[in-house]
Amino acid sequence: MKQTPEEARIRRNFETGILSKDGFLGSDERHIHDIIQEDLQTLSRLGVYPDEIAQRLKHFIDEGKKGLEGKIDLGAFTVQIRWDRGMIPCPFGEPGLHPKIHARLFHKTKQREIRYTQLGVHLIRKHGFFGGKGSVFRLEPAELVTFLGIDTTK
Amino acid sequence: MLNHIIFTVAVLGGINGLLALLLVIAERFFANYGECTITINEKRELRVSGGSSLLVALKTDKIFLPSACGGRGTCAYCKCRITEGGGPVLPTEESLLSEDEIADNVRLACQVKVKSDLAIRLPEELFQIQEFKARVAGLEDLTYDIKLVKLRLVDPTDIQFTPGQYVQLQNKPYAKAKETVSRAYSIASSAIDTKNIDLMIRLVPEGMVTTWVHHHLKQDEEVVFTGPMGDFRLHEGDAEIIMIAGGSGLAPMVSILDELARNKSQRKITFFFGAVSKKDLFYVDEMKQFQEKIPKFTFVPALSQPDPEDNWKGQTGLITIPVENHIKKIDTAKSQAYLCGSPGMINACIKVLSSNGITKERIFYDPFA
Repeated sequence: MKQTPEEARIRRNFETGILSKDGFLGSDERHIHDIIQEDLQTLSRLGVYPDEIAQRLKHFIDEGKKGLEGKIDLGAFTVQIRWDRGMIPCPFGEPGLHPKIHARLFHKTKQREIRYTQLGVHLIRKHGFFGGKGSVFRLEPAELVTFLGIDTTK
Repeated sequence: MLNHIIFTVAVLGGINGLLALLLVIAERFFANYGECTITINEKRELRVSGGSSLLVALKTDKIFLPSACGGRGTCAYCKCRITEGGGPVLPTEESLLSEDEIADNVRLACQVKVKSDLAIRLPEELFQIQEFKARVAGLEDLTYDIKLVKLRLVDPTDIQFTPGQYVQLQNKPYAKAKETVSRAYSIASSAIDTKNIDLMIRLVPEGMVTTWVHHHLKQDEEVVFTGPMGDFRLHEGDAEIIMIAGGSGLAPMVSILDELARNKSQRKITFFFGAVSKKDLFYVDEMKQFQEKIPKFTFVPALSQPDPEDNWKGQTGLITIPVENHIKKIDTAKSQAYLCGSPGMINACIKVLSSNGITKERIFYDPFA
């Protein structure tokens, strides 16, 4: 995998034990650009923009915050937020810090739960990055679109 | 043909080796900044070898600035004012400094390289911060995700702190986490016991230090922490004290309540502790003991979503509800509020307190949130 020195510096931030215990790449050895590219192609086939997904995920975080760690019932979903002290930077190295907010979003009829973070929402919105394969917070774009009930027929 | 390829590879390898050697020599001679002087608060001078970050240079002289990210320029705890030298603000600092701070020459000590003489200003209380070696004297599960970590000091053997202050505990490399970072934890024990400190540490999902504490730290293991730090402490006054905490935010309150008990405080104190269900409640017996020692102290636990099997008879609902019900009934003109817990809880409580007459100057909470 060929990388510029700047890309190598950024990739280090994604590795285990640098910004987070398990990192952002899991067992994925692909170039970060390739990970993003493949996921964006998946979304493109479905006619969905990363921003639409990020907006939904953020909405659930905003609603979940009202529960002060308790579960909030939102009809088809329940959401529970953990907001820990401290901040985490974006692994892409851009300015700004993100609060350590961890969400558990449960779909009642699908009986399925996803876990994601506020930083994860930023990574999807700003960088189209859904996590490396096998990483703790990897969200498969196609599955996520179905889980969130985003209309792909428009 | 083959000989030609081998010759070419050998020549290229030789050139690469030579260039690498030149780089090492250049680093040695051209990047040698010699001895530099750091003048602190116009009265103390440190002589250090140039080339390292200001944070590291100060640490070698036992001056510990708060830092939680290992000098990566992400936590912004190591801010200090540089009055001479230091060069321009780096792009890595810009996002972490306000316009006022940049105008006031505030910098991140971890990003400033000591290449020439510097003059800096540090708050006097930073000189009290020391690095401690301690041994784990006890590990106890307070809840399913909060551990009580009891540390016995080894070197130095004594610590002086003000109730409410925190220390920064360093993890050791473990599993795939190869780096050492430190995180802030409030001291949860009596300030008169100078030989030991207690910490209450909640497991954070994917947290680097909390995972180490919960899954790797062992009884009798030696650990390193720096401290004491922070200005969260009890303020003078005779009006009612309202304490609000959740989860491991109970820690500094224990230390502050111990101080109030020792001083035989006659102040009215109401402590609201928020939890989701009974499994998140802990230290209830210790709070009952404080109720016996402090005449006007009341402990009010509130569960937002008690489980049916909890058979809960106490306050129910978000912590903001009993807090608001209480402060609507009291004279808040001089009341003080002390908060510790998740940023979400702190934000929600500040809103309720402010809208009910407790001004922001009388609301105190840990700034490391």
